[in-house]
Amino acid sequence: MQLDFANRELTIKLVYYGPALSGKTTNLQALHRLLDASAAGRLMTLETRDDRTLFFDMLPVAFDAGSGLRVRFKVFTVPGQVMHAATRRMVLQGADGVAFIADSQRNETRANQQAYLDLQQNLRELGVDPARLPVVIQFNKRDLPDIRTDAEIDALARHGTEPVYKAVALRGAGVLETFFGLVERTWDALEREHRIEQRFGVTRAAVLERLRARTHRTGTVP
Amino acid sequence: MTAPVPQTDPLDVELGDVARLEDIVDRAALAEVCRNFHALFGISVRVVSRDGALIADAHHEQAICQQVNALTAGRQACASTVSEVRALDPTGGVQVHPCFTGAVYRVVGLDYQGRRIGRIVIGPYLPAETREVPQSLLRIDAGLDPDRARERLAQMPRVRAETAQRIADHLRGVVDLIVFSSHRARLASAMHVASVRESYRQLAEKTAALQTAYDRLRELDRLKSSFLATVSHELRTPLTSILGYSDMLLSGMAGEIGGEQREFVETIRAKGEQLLGLITNLLDLGKLEQGSPTLRREPVDAVALAADVVRTMAPAARRKGVELVHRVDGSVAPIEADPVRLRQVLNNLTDNAIKFTPSGGRVVVGVRATEVASSRTDGPGGVLFGVPRRAVELTVSDTGIGIPESERGRIFDAFYQVDGSSTREHGGAGLGLAIVRRLVEAHGGRIDVESKVGQGTTFRVVIPEPEIASDEG
Repeated sequence: MQLDFANRELTIKLVYYGPALSGKTTNLQALHRLLDASAAGRLMTLETRDDRTLFFDMLPVAFDAGSGLRVRFKVFTVPGQVMHAATRRMVLQGADGVAFIADSQRNETRANQQAYLDLQQNLRELGVDPARLPVVIQFNKRDLPDIRTDAEIDALARHGTEPVYKAVALRGAGVLETFFGLVERTWDALEREHRIEQRFGVTRAAVLERLRARTHRTGTVP
Repeated sequence: MTAPVPQTDPLDVELGDVARLEDIVDRAALAEVCRNFHALFGISVRVVSRDGALIADAHHEQAICQQVNALTAGRQACASTVSEVRALDPTGGVQVHPCFTGAVYRVVGLDYQGRRIGRIVIGPYLPAETREVPQSLLRIDAGLDPDRARERLAQMPRVRAETAQRIADHLRGVVDLIVFSSHRARLASAMHVASVRESYRQLAEKTAALQTAYDRLRELDRLKSSFLATVSHELRTPLTSILGYSDMLLSGMAGEIGGEQREFVETIRAKGEQLLGLITNLLDLGKLEQGSPTLRREPVDAVALAADVVRTMAPAARRKGVELVHRVDGSVAPIEADPVRLRQVLNNLTDNAIKFTPSGGRVVVGVRATEVASSRTDGPGGVLFGVPRRAVELTVSDTGIGIPESERGRIFDAFYQVDGSSTREHGGAGLGLAIVRRLVEAHGGRIDVESKVGQGTTFRVVIPEPEIASDEG
């Protein structure tokens, strides 16, 4: 997080993490569609020829949170492929919250686990306690065959500590829910540490309301 | 020699932010865009950074400005207007600033990723609705010729407010695109440099760690080899003599022996051989006891492995009149395991089964895929790790003498034999199952036994895929 008192500007870094091809970029693309152009800037993609993320994608989201405070979210994705470990760690650096995008397909179970351990490992190497970082988990690709069922995920979710969302990012379903869930959790953590309400008179509810006013549902393909 | 590396503010990369417009745009390209705009509309265009630095400038002095600037008071008034315009930061996005000549400047804010990075100044131009030469111009200097001023003011481009805004929007769009492309390229190169540095750092770290580990292992290996060599030498040397002298006695080198003498010497020799086997097994077990044996895991086709063990054991089974069968249930995917150790497990169990099965009996070596429950405790990521792990189940069933229930807990202890008398009948020191259990446990697996006395025994070994580790991949 970067706090610019002089310009009353708060910059929050959110990172979409997960195994290769789980739909991190797709989430950002959907988010870009679902957010109003007055809030979401151009989606920046640094990709390779075969459309796989090379370095990262970045979506800037900025709006007035009231009381003269400008809030900027910088939403990043990391490259999922194992080979880009160094890049992943660099993108993760300074993250205020992480959305972990898991692939719902059964045969991706191990890839999900691997990516989650990789996340924890990278956080530790960056000197961040994984247990203290706000994380939400999204199970994406709910429309594919041979996926873990809703009931299974709900049952498994009781073993974990993170809020779990289900999504079909390609159609925009569940994308905003995940994003707002992440914003909520991240804001709570920042509030605890930086007393934003006390210093700027801005509450989480106000931020969410202002952000929600900048969304539209037309980006969701039913 | 190291090549110079462009310095990047770490925060720039971390947040992907643009600190200053002047760092990000190609000034020559921006100047060209401004010149084209100027040529197209005849209006001056300037791009100013957030701090007020002039980044691009395409202008020509309007005729009226030339006239005003020729006069002292006019020059002063013009300079003050220009500096006011330069300092203007339109909070609402657009601001129109009047000049005393009746012309206006349109100042448009340049925002990028929710942050003000600079502004575009368009003008001066004359609002389309201007009809009269304003008093503010006529009063500016006593020396101003009103007729010339009217004539010259008329030469200034006239623009309607909405047209001016469209021009401004268009220019802003073009500048935004330039900033975006430059920013993207800049971030990409910064990431390239940073990831090369990071990869280098990681490699250097790994190399150092590997070197340390290698040195330590070499030392340990030397110690272990010397220990094993000493122990096996100390134990085997006298044993070799015992075996050698027994052989010599049997060959009659020390004179003919017969009857009971020969039988006794043969027993000495057989027991010596047995002792040699025991020492070999002990050394093996000793290695396993020194903590977990090192497994060299690789994908193992358990079906092929079992088939191979059955093939190897077939002659021994035939000799005993025991039928040896290999059975596969369904498809079994390869599993990460140590093929040598897994073969040792199956060899030992099969060998035992044949040993304890009377002639006419049957030994079945079975393979099937199975699962084991997750061993992770609940906590972060529980939703991902609560799932069962893949495993392969190996069974060895016989129709032999069986193991009484009271003994089943102890058969895996070293040197334990169910029935002391069976040692004489079947040989072995009771180390096989102890070794088997250690190897199975080293794989994170488990072994259990089902048996009915007089009907047979089934040993069931479950080897799961290894628990996922964070450095795997």
